Amino acid sequence: MQLNHAQRELTVKVVYYGPGLSGKTTNLQLIHARTQSEGRGKLLTVETHDDRTLFFDLLPVFFQTKGGYTVKVKLFTVPGQVIHNATRRVVLQNADAVAFIADSRRAANADNNAYWANLHENMRENGLDTAQVPIVIQFNKRDLPDTKTDQELEETRARGKEPVIGAVAIRGEGVLETLFAVIQLAYRKMDEQAGLARNLGLSESGFLDQVFARIDTSGTQVESWLEQLRKGDQ
Amino acid sequence: MSTEGPTRSPESVLQRRLALGDLLDLQTFGELVKGFAELYKVGVKVFDEKGNRLADIKVGNGDFCGYVFSFTEGRRCCTATVARVKEGPVATVQAAREPLGPPGVPLRGMVTVPCFTGLRYLVLPILWEGDSLGRVVFGPFTPEDLGDLPTSLTDLTPGIDLALAQGHLAKIRRAPEQTVAKVMLHFAQLLEALVAAGQKTYLTSQVHIEATLESNRELEGQNRKLEAMNVRLKEMDRLKSSFLATVSHELRTPLTSIIGYSEMLSEGLVGPMNVEQTDYVRTIMDKGDTLLKLISSILDISQIEAGKVRLTFDGVLVSDVVTSALSSVKPQAQKKGLVMDTKLPPRAVEARADREKLRQVVVNLLSNAVKFTPKGGWVQVVLTDIQPQPELGSAPGYRIVVQDSGVGIPPDQLDKVFQSFYQVDNSSTREFGGAGLGLAIVKSYVEGHGGAVKVTSEVGRGSRFEVVLPAKPPTPGSVISPPASDGPIPVERF
Repeated sequence: MQLNHAQRELTVKVVYYGPGLSGKTTNLQLIHARTQSEGRGKLLTVETHDDRTLFFDLLPVFFQTKGGYTVKVKLFTVPGQVIHNATRRVVLQNADAVAFIADSRRAANADNNAYWANLHENMRENGLDTAQVPIVIQFNKRDLPDTKTDQELEETRARGKEPVIGAVAIRGEGVLETLFAVIQLAYRKMDEQAGLARNLGLSESGFLDQVFARIDTSGTQVESWLEQLRKGDQ
Repeated sequence: MSTEGPTRSPESVLQRRLALGDLLDLQTFGELVKGFAELYKVGVKVFDEKGNRLADIKVGNGDFCGYVFSFTEGRRCCTATVARVKEGPVATVQAAREPLGPPGVPLRGMVTVPCFTGLRYLVLPILWEGDSLGRVVFGPFTPEDLGDLPTSLTDLTPGIDLALAQGHLAKIRRAPEQTVAKVMLHFAQLLEALVAAGQKTYLTSQVHIEATLESNRELEGQNRKLEAMNVRLKEMDRLKSSFLATVSHELRTPLTSIIGYSEMLSEGLVGPMNVEQTDYVRTIMDKGDTLLKLISSILDISQIEAGKVRLTFDGVLVSDVVTSALSSVKPQAQKKGLVMDTKLPPRAVEARADREKLRQVVVNLLSNAVKFTPKGGWVQVVLTDIQPQPELGSAPGYRIVVQDSGVGIPPDQLDKVFQSFYQVDNSSTREFGGAGLGLAIVKSYVEGHGGAVKVTSEVGRGSRFEVVLPAKPPTPGSVISPPASDGPIPVERF
């Protein structure tokens, strides 16, 4: 988090991490497509000829708070290919939260584990406390054959503290839910560190409401989640 | 939080707020602005967020503004107006108002700033991802509806020549505000495309550099670890050699007593023994000798590996050395009924060498030949005259060839037989004894003399070891370097 009181600006960094071809860029493309242009920047993406991410993708989503702060949520993806580890580490620097995009297929299990370890190693190398930086796991490609059952997802969920969300990113399923979960956890961490509610008058529901104000959440669970948060506030 | 971030590497470009100048190629951008200003005949200035001027093209207003500037009050007001458009807020405050733009088109935060002369400026913020990166100032232009010069000008500039001023004014583009606003929105689109392309190029190239530095940092860390490990391994190796040397020495002392006392017993110095007793004591002596030789070999190789062996070169009659070596293996050869054949040149061969080490080279080769040749076979040793040797760069030297009709060495093992503790048959049930040190010692000593040793062999037919030695070793008294050690490549060669 970069909180600049002089410029009245809060920048939040969320990194989409995971093995190659797990659907990180697809997640960002969908968020981009669902967000009105006034609420976001351009999707910056550099791909190789075979559609693999070469450096990173970047999609900024922003809004103004009532208190006059500009809040920018910068969504990054890392390149998934093994050889780009140094780039992954650079992009991961100072992340406020991580969305780990895993491939649900059983055959991808070893890869998922390897990148999970790689994420933790790179966080440590970057001086990020793995206990402090929240992570959300997205199990993508739920529509493909050989995918893990819901029961197996439950088992994964039970093994750790990270929220686990099933997704078919290419069809938009689970993408905004993942975004919601990761931003919610990022908010809670930042609120703990910098007192966003106290100092900026920015409550959790207010924050999420404004992030999703220009995003088309129809047909997703995000609508009801936002509704619940608002009720909780009242 | 940025203030709590790791201090290890500098802040990534991804965390930095980018300046407009980073995202544009200023030279081509300047040309674009110039072309644009000339096409529409309106001046264009571009400033970044800190007020740095990135482009500045004036069209037509020079004479008029210069004339107004020549009046004291005109100068003051002109300076204030310029400051307003350049540094004032891009908002409808401080005399600025919303422009008359094309209907139904978003104005991207553009404002109109009127000049006291009746001219006008349009100011457009450069917005990127919710940030303001700077501003574009269009103008001044003459609004289409401007008739006479306004009193705001004439009152402040007493004595102004209205005809002259109107003449200058005619050189400034006259256009409806709406048209200028439209042109400006078009410019904003162009600029957005340039900034998007520039941001992509700038961020990716910077991240690429950062990733390369990150890789380097990682490699340097690994190199340091490897170097430390290498130092440790070398130290362990040295300790091993030193341990072997000490242990061998300590073993040899009591063994000498065992052999000595057995010898005295067998010679009947302490009274007569029966045949069986003598036989047993002889066996003790024989095995003691074998053990002593083995220990000596271990001592030799550990001395070599510890870099402690120094050769002392003297004039040596090589023929005598060969003959003496032969005599020391003769008993074993006779026991196996081997035919020993010696070919010495008619003239005695004299060369500079370390006599003891040279003798050991020949003894080791000969005892190997005897050991690995089955009963009824033959062993031959040949010494040549001193003559130019191709292996020594045509320097004068001699050859000692030891050949046998023994078991031979498989081709894939030929290059390994010179390694310490190497045996072709390494199984526990092997037929031939020994520690596998003889040839390693031979190689070290020969190379210490500046010579070379090579082997050819055929399994089941026999082996042929050929030693080439210089008549004058190049470095007298050299310390033998440990065998098979790949020295470090000198890094600072020049």
